[in-house]
Amino acid sequence: MELVNLFDDVKRMNKRQFLYQMLSFGMIVSSALMIWKGLMVVTGSESPIVVVLSGSMEPAFHRGDLLFLTNYPEEPVRVGEIVVFKVEGRDIPIVHRVLKLHEKNNGTIKFLTKGDNNSVDDRGLYAPGQLWLTKRDVVGRARGFLPYVGMVTILMNEYPKFKYAVLACLGFYVLIHRE
Amino acid sequence: MVPKEKDTKDKDEKNLKINKWDGSAVKNAIDDAVKEVSISLYLQKKYNYVENFALMDGRLVICGVAVGVAMFALLWDYLYPFPQSRPILIFCVTTYFIMMGILTLYTNYKEKGIFAVCIQKDGSKKDSIWEASSFLAKYDDKYNLVLAYIDGKTKQKRETSFKKSVANFCRC
Repeated sequence: MELVNLFDDVKRMNKRQFLYQMLSFGMIVSSALMIWKGLMVVTGSESPIVVVLSGSMEPAFHRGDLLFLTNYPEEPVRVGEIVVFKVEGRDIPIVHRVLKLHEKNNGTIKFLTKGDNNSVDDRGLYAPGQLWLTKRDVVGRARGFLPYVGMVTILMNEYPKFKYAVLACLGFYVLIHRE
Repeated sequence: MVPKEKDTKDKDEKNLKINKWDGSAVKNAIDDAVKEVSISLYLQKKYNYVENFALMDGRLVICGVAVGVAMFALLWDYLYPFPQSRPILIFCVTTYFIMMGILTLYTNYKEKGIFAVCIQKDGSKKDSIWEASSFLAKYDDKYNLVLAYIDGKTKQKRETSFKKSVANFCRC
């Protein structure tokens, strides 16, 4: 397909059709966004789908697995469950299992986690001076998973140029091709 | 009267190159040529008809509102992180999908393939409307063009159509 032909379509569009092309692109982006926000609302978690980034939970989860999370307030965290949490000040979610849990009568909890494949508990990973995690740090509890699917996300994060190249090509194609 | 000149329009005037296996590109190219020939050259010069964009504008407005709602949700969630923004998010998501539904209904039932509308001003307040619509099925090569005339005074609709293979319009 010659590059010149791609621009022919654009040149023939008048103002309205061009605006419609831009809006079509906007609608594709918005649809993805709305589906993500809808999932956030339905599961109650701020990040309903996460990718396992390290091998600290083998043999249960491997690097590159996709996890589905829920975060309903009616279901309290219990020992033995796999939770995804974020340490304060750091953006990366960590997927580990709950080891110990203290609970007060009014429902506040503090708990300790450890990765299945690690030899020590996570106190080394928490913020300096922090010995326990609270409900606020929890992103969600793992409910289901898809193996290997998250490898694409890991690749795109390790090679950001690849991600921008793919997004640029997709965006370009949608803007140029008339429906 | 349906201008028969449409049959003989020569695409080589502008040397348009399109991918003949891409059905939607072919349909768009022929629609554009029909508009160019009938409206700019024929109807506008001889009879002074004015092109009306109400249908296209309606579609643009619906899309614009949908995208606006999505952007609003994005902004609100950015300013007030998740648990607080929950009710607004629910509202925006449902509004967005309702807009999508309205858009689909609009495209399928109100627009129905119409790509050009002209209004013939008659001096009196009643305007007559010319509508051109076209259909090209997905893997079919028969291009179906329908030209309709709605009389302003009697509100009656007169239609005429012709069906030809797209090969007649292209020089391959």
